[in-house]
Amino acid sequence: MDRIVVTGIGVISAIGHSVNENHAALVMGKTGIIKGGGNFPSRYSGLLPFGEVLVSTDELKTKLNVTQPGVTRTTLLALHAFKEAIADAGLSPDELSAHDTALVGATTVGGMCLTDELYANTHGDTENVEYVRSFDYASVNLFIQNRYNITGVVNTMNTACSSSANAIMYGCRLIKNGLASRVIVGGADSLAKFTVNGFNALRILSDEACTPFDQNRKGLNLGEGAAFLVLEKESDATGKKNYACVSGYGNANDAYHPSSLSPEGDGPYLAMKSALESAGLNPADIDFINAHGTGTENNDEVESRAMLNLFGTLPNFASTKGFTGHTLGAASAIEAVYSVLNIDRQELYPNLNFSEPIADIRLQPVMDHRSAAITHVMSNSFGFGGNCTSLVFSKP
Amino acid sequence: MEIAELKEKLKVQIIQFLNLTDLTPADIKDDEPLFGDGLGLDSIDSLELIVLLKREYGVNIQDPKEGRKVLVDVNTMAAYIKEHGQK
Amino acid sequence: MMFYIHKAACISPQQTFGDIDIEQLHVAVDNKLYAIEPKYPHFNGNALRRMSKSTRMGAGAALPLLADNDKPNGIIIGTQVSGMEENGKFLNQIIEYNEDMLTPGSFVQGTPNTISSQIALINNNKNYNLTHVHRGLAFENAALDAAMLVNENPAHTYLLGGVDEISANNYTLDTLGGWFKKEPCPSDGLYNSTTAGSLSGEGATMFTVSGNQAGAIAKLSAITTIHSSDVAVVKERIKNFISKELPDGKKIDLLLTGENGDARVFPFYQACEEILDDQTAIARFKHMSGEYPTASSFALWLACNFVGGILNIPRHMIKRHGDLKSLKNILVYNTHKVGQHGCMLVNVA
Repeated sequence: MDRIVVTGIGVISAIGHSVNENHAALVMGKTGIIKGGGNFPSRYSGLLPFGEVLVSTDELKTKLNVTQPGVTRTTLLALHAFKEAIADAGLSPDELSAHDTALVGATTVGGMCLTDELYANTHGDTENVEYVRSFDYASVNLFIQNRYNITGVVNTMNTACSSSANAIMYGCRLIKNGLASRVIVGGADSLAKFTVNGFNALRILSDEACTPFDQNRKGLNLGEGAAFLVLEKESDATGKKNYACVSGYGNANDAYHPSSLSPEGDGPYLAMKSALESAGLNPADIDFINAHGTGTENNDEVESRAMLNLFGTLPNFASTKGFTGHTLGAASAIEAVYSVLNIDRQELYPNLNFSEPIADIRLQPVMDHRSAAITHVMSNSFGFGGNCTSLVFSKP
Repeated sequence: MEIAELKEKLKVQIIQFLNLTDLTPADIKDDEPLFGDGLGLDSIDSLELIVLLKREYGVNIQDPKEGRKVLVDVNTMAAYIKEHGQK
Repeated sequence: MMFYIHKAACISPQQTFGDIDIEQLHVAVDNKLYAIEPKYPHFNGNALRRMSKSTRMGAGAALPLLADNDKPNGIIIGTQVSGMEENGKFLNQIIEYNEDMLTPGSFVQGTPNTISSQIALINNNKNYNLTHVHRGLAFENAALDAAMLVNENPAHTYLLGGVDEISANNYTLDTLGGWFKKEPCPSDGLYNSTTAGSLSGEGATMFTVSGNQAGAIAKLSAITTIHSSDVAVVKERIKNFISKELPDGKKIDLLLTGENGDARVFPFYQACEEILDDQTAIARFKHMSGEYPTASSFALWLACNFVGGILNIPRHMIKRHGDLKSLKNILVYNTHKVGQHGCMLVNVA
C-alpha cells in the first residue's frame, strides 16, 4: 500500500491567518490569547482571555467573496483554511470535483455560533430566517462541498475535542479502502456563546492565559480557527511538495465520565498505543509529542500519567494551546499542521507559560524554539465523552 | 423562613433541578450524603446545585472546592443559606 | 464495501421494539410522529436523568444488542445533532440568564457524541468510538465507516446506529426552513399531499454488523452517497450504482424509498422509480417514521427484517405491488432536504 502524504496545509488561528503567519508566531513564542479588544460579542469578552481570530465576520465574507446569505463564521473560517490548503497542494477544479476526491471536516459548534439568531427564530421571529438552514454541524462542509462542486464522499464528524483528529484518520481510511484517491481533511470552530458558556458552567475556563502542564494551571482558554490538510497517495504526489506522511492513528474511548478523563487515562493510553501499533513504531521511535495539554487540572495530569505509562521515559513534548487557546473541533487539525511543521522545518516550538512541573509527575515540556532532528511526531486529542484519538506523522 | 420549612423546600428544588424523577422529598433524609454512597450525585450535579443556590437564594459560591463543604447534605446546605442567603 | 447484519433493534414511532407489530399504523399527532419509547427497565433513575432523549433512545435500542456482555470492537453512530432538545435548553439559558451562572447539565448532554459515549460507558467499552453528524447522510457515513472497519478487520463486530429526536427548536427551525408541513396532514394522506414539507419524525435504530456470514439476518452489499440537487445527476448516479453493484442476472425485488409527501423532493423519488422496470415492487416508509435526518436507518431495519423473512411488508407501505414474489434484493433510496442522497443495497445473507 502506498503511503499517505500531506501535500497541502492551510490554517487560520489566533496567531495568524496563514501557515506562514502561524509558523512565525510559533518560532517567536508569540501568543494569540488576549483578554479584551476582540470582536466576540459575549459578556465574557474582556473578563476571560480568548484565542480569537481578529477579523470580523463581515471582513471574512468580503475577503472570501462570500455573498450568499446564511453563511456562519465557523464556515468562513473553514473556507479560509480550506482555500489555503488546496492552493498549497495545487489541486485543480477538476481534481476537486473528481469522484475520488473526498472532504472530511469536523466541528463542534457549526451553526450553533448563532445563539441569538436561533433564540429569536425559535421564539417567534419568522422574518429574519437567514440562518435557519445553517444551525447544524454539517452546514460548514455542505457549503464548501457546494462551492467547489465536490462529488466524492463528504462527511462531518463531531467527537468533541478530538473531532478533527478523527476527520484526519477517517480521510486516511477512505484512501486505504479505495473510496478516495485524495482527501481534504480538517476542522473548524468559531468562538461561540454556546461553548464559552458551556465550558464556563463546567468551571474549567481560566481567567488568565492557560498554563499547560504547570502545577498551578487554572483551566483552559477557548480559541477559534480552522485548519485543513490535503492527503494524497504517495504515487499520485510525484513532483509535489511532500510535507510528511500520516503513518498512524488510534481511536479509543475512556468509558469513564461524560466530561472528565479517568484517573489512569485508559482512553488516552489506548489511543496512543494503537496509533503506535498502526504506524508500526515503538514508543522510543517518537521524537516529539504535540500533547492535548489544555491546561485543565484533569487533562494535563491524566495525559501526563498516560504518556508516562506508555513511554516510560518521555520524548520531548509540548502543548500549543498557549498560542491558540483550545479551538475544539479545529484543535487537532491545527495541531496536525503544527506537527507537520515540526517535521518539515526540523524544529520544536515552546509550550508557553510553563514554570513549575506538576507535583508527583515532574514532567517538563519543551520551553523554547529549537532545532531538532524529528522523524516521528505524535499528536494527541482527548475529548468529552471519553473520545480519544492520537495521530502519528512521519518524515517523508 | 423556618429551617425545617427551608429544608423541605430545598428537597423539592434538588429533585426538580437534578431531574431525580424516581425520588420524592420524603426519600431524602436531612443528613443523607448528597455525593458518594448517599444520593450518588457527581461533579456535574455539584455545579448544578451551586447554580440552584445562586438562582433561588442569591448565595454565591465562586470556588467549586468551597462548594464541596456546603454541599454535604441538606442540613449543611440549609445552614449555609441561613448564613449567606440574600433572598 | 459490505457487511453482514446480525442483530437489529429499533425504537420508532411504530411498534418496532419488544413485541413488534408494524401492520397496525401509529399515526402522526400535530404533524409529528413521536417515538414509542419503552420503559427502559435496565437504566436506573440516576442514569436516565442524565440522558437526552436521543441518548435514551439510542442506548435503549443498543441494550438488547449488548446483552450477554457482548462487547463490540467499535461503536459508530450517525446523528444530525443528537440531543437537540438539551441543546435548545442550553441556548435558551444563555439568553434568558444573560450568560450568567448556567447549569452545565444540558450542555454536556446536548453534545452529539453523548450517544456513542453513553453506550461505551454502559458497555464499559474502550474500543473505537465515532459520531458522524453529516445531516441527512450521517447514518450512511456511519454505515460506510462500519463497512470500512469490517473490511479492515473481517472478524470484528461493530455496533452501528442512527438516532435523531424531535425537539421544539429543530421543529421550529425546520418548519421555518420549509421542511415540515404548515397545514395539518394526516399520516395516511401524506403521499397525496401537493405542498412542500413532510411530517416530523424521530427514532433510534441499532445494528450489530461484521464480516461473518454465518447466522446473519441480512447483508448490506453496497452503499453510496450523492451530493447534488440536480435530478438528472442523481438519476445517473443511482443507475450506475445499481449496474455496478447488483450482480448479473439479479434484479431489485423491492425499491424502498423515503418518499415523504414533499412536492419539491418528489421528482428525485420519481426518477429513481423510473430506473427500474415497471414491475418492480415499491414501498415507502416515511408515513411510519416521519422525516428526520437519519431516517434511512429505520429503512435499513425494515429491509433487514424483510429479506431476513422476519417481517412481511405491511399493506400500508406498498405503493406498487408489481410482480413481487421473492424478496432477495432491496434497494433503499432516501434523500434529505434535496441535496443529500443515499443508496443502500440490502440482500439475503
